[in-house]
Amino acid sequence: MQDDLDDLFATARQRPPEPSAGLLARVLHDAEGVQDAQARPLRSPYRRRHRLLALVLGSAGAAAGMATAAVAGVWIGFAQPEAVSSVTAAWLADERVDLIPNYDYLTE
Amino acid sequence: MPLDTLPDVTDEALLILYANGDRAAARALTLRLTPRVLGFAARMLSDRAEAEDVTQEAMLRLWRIAAEWRQGEAKVTTWLYRVTSNLCTDRLRRRRGIALDDAPDVADAAPGVEASLIEGQRMRALDDALALLPERQRQAVVLRHIEGLPNPEIARIMEIGVEAVESLTARGKRALAALLAGQRDVLSYEDG
Repeated sequence: MQDDLDDLFATARQRPPEPSAGLLARVLHDAEGVQDAQARPLRSPYRRRHRLLALVLGSAGAAAGMATAAVAGVWIGFAQPEAVSSVTAAWLADERVDLIPNYDYLTE
Repeated sequence: MPLDTLPDVTDEALLILYANGDRAAARALTLRLTPRVLGFAARMLSDRAEAEDVTQEAMLRLWRIAAEWRQGEAKVTTWLYRVTSNLCTDRLRRRRGIALDDAPDVADAAPGVEASLIEGQRMRALDDALALLPERQRQAVVLRHIEGLPNPEIARIMEIGVEAVESLTARGKRALAALLAGQRDVLSYEDG
């Protein structure tokens, strides 16, 4: 009986149900429909503008880097001159170097 | 419809091509996978129209998941058999209106398993007997002995262990043999 059953399974493997042309056409229609639906958003005006902007600026990361650099430049420009000038003034005004200390008596 | 024009390309590679908008890949996958899904669904449901609906739905789910397919995680056919299996289970549950776990281990013998000498009727006898098996046994027997899948792959499809697959297959085969015991003239080639 087991041999008969194995023969029956073998026959079943050789005779799978054939899909009708209609079923294949419906499945392919679905496949192409999903492809079209997933491709369509890339062609919308919003996506086009977004992609153009990305091309110009590079990417969101690059844009963020540029913004940070701009803010840092403005801050350095306005905030740093006082500190820099005070250091320079202190250096020029108070720091004197006595190059020949042992000959001071000649000038007295 | 023409034959598969990309026979050397794997299912997974075709699916990635499909997700990138390749029409030839859509056609090749349709021709390659639809018969396998239909064959499995038809033997699970014993109803051609329902099997076609399930096939179209399972393939539609494949198209939708293609863009998010994670390479190397699962075989495309394993995923597809699992989806088909779940869709068939839903339909069988709706049809019967009872939980399948409550179904008897082996159903009563079918009065409609008719003797016949021609091959088409032998196949009908097999399908009639398969329809009387509990759903999990039928699933395991069809995947193992008709679809020809190895036990580890069946285990992944059915989300059970390999030993459980072996047990289901063995019990299913014994039950089929019992159901067809009185139909030797249908089953034997010598007699057919």
